[in-house]
Amino acid sequence: MNSSARMQLFALPLAAALALAAGCAHEQTRYGDAKGVETVTNEFGSTDLQTIAESMARSMQQAPVIVSGNLPIVTVQEVKNRTSEYIDTRSITDSIRSELQKGGKVRFAVDASGMKQQTGEINRQQNEYYAREQAAEKGQMVGAQYRMEGNITSIVKQVRDVKDVYYKVNLQLWNIRNGLLEWSDEKEIRKTTTRG
Amino acid sequence: MRYAWIPAAIVAAMLGAGCATKKGFEVPGQAFGCPIGEAKIASMDDLVKAKVMMEGTRTTVIPTEMRCSKSGDLLKIDANLNNDSRTVKRVSYKFRWIDREGMRAWEEEAWKPLLLYDNSNLMVNTVAPTNKVADFRLILRSQE
Repeated sequence: MNSSARMQLFALPLAAALALAAGCAHEQTRYGDAKGVETVTNEFGSTDLQTIAESMARSMQQAPVIVSGNLPIVTVQEVKNRTSEYIDTRSITDSIRSELQKGGKVRFAVDASGMKQQTGEINRQQNEYYAREQAAEKGQMVGAQYRMEGNITSIVKQVRDVKDVYYKVNLQLWNIRNGLLEWSDEKEIRKTTTRG
Repeated sequence: MRYAWIPAAIVAAMLGAGCATKKGFEVPGQAFGCPIGEAKIASMDDLVKAKVMMEGTRTTVIPTEMRCSKSGDLLKIDANLNNDSRTVKRVSYKFRWIDREGMRAWEEEAWKPLLLYDNSNLMVNTVAPTNKVADFRLILRSQE
């Protein structure tokens, strides 16, 4: 075998490999449905967040204190993440709050996490640069009548080719004045991933 | 033969009574508690046809029964989904909320996945997100 024949012998498979690699590297980006069912992995995902938020908000809207109350004022406290994975629980309560606020049955008071910004803004308006008559005064904020809190837990079971995840979200609405539990509900989700 | 008309009269009276009680309890503009507007709904099948839509891949899972009521000033809906096949079916559903003018009363909901065992029923229930809701559609699609 001469040298040019040897070159040809290596060049052809090399070209084919390069073409394949280029094909694999081809990338495409498309917009998807933000409300579609997402099953990329069995970790906590957008469908879980949306389902929980919708289910909890709709349930809470039927609570007697919400139905009978004259726009009750609620403050959102922490949803504790008791799962083994990272979940932005603030995102769950934010979605629930948005849905309830749009429903027009509940008002929300500033919560603990937003208190620093709220008092900071009042203090800022108290300085000499603002017109006295329009500036927000201290001592005018309205306290909440109810506080919403909860937790999310999970049970994960895994064998060689199967992973099963069970999530349970529990939310509660507490009466701040008398400490009574006014509403509570749960939402369960099960996701199973099989390999092969 | 003088009383030959009596059986005919009894049958006519029974038929009349049957027709009178068929939907006599319904509020005008509602069927099984659900808002129907001007639509002619005479049976549960008619109501299901009027309120259920398929989008994307069609599924053989269908609602067999729908009932509505009020929870405060919000429309509450129960829909019984039936899987009459011999296999487990995976579907997703969402509700579309319509106001009095026929416009969307709420933003598009997220698709919610469901699993129905073979030869089984599953009750889906929800409540309208706002009291502006006057009508609804239940939308189903296959997740197979």
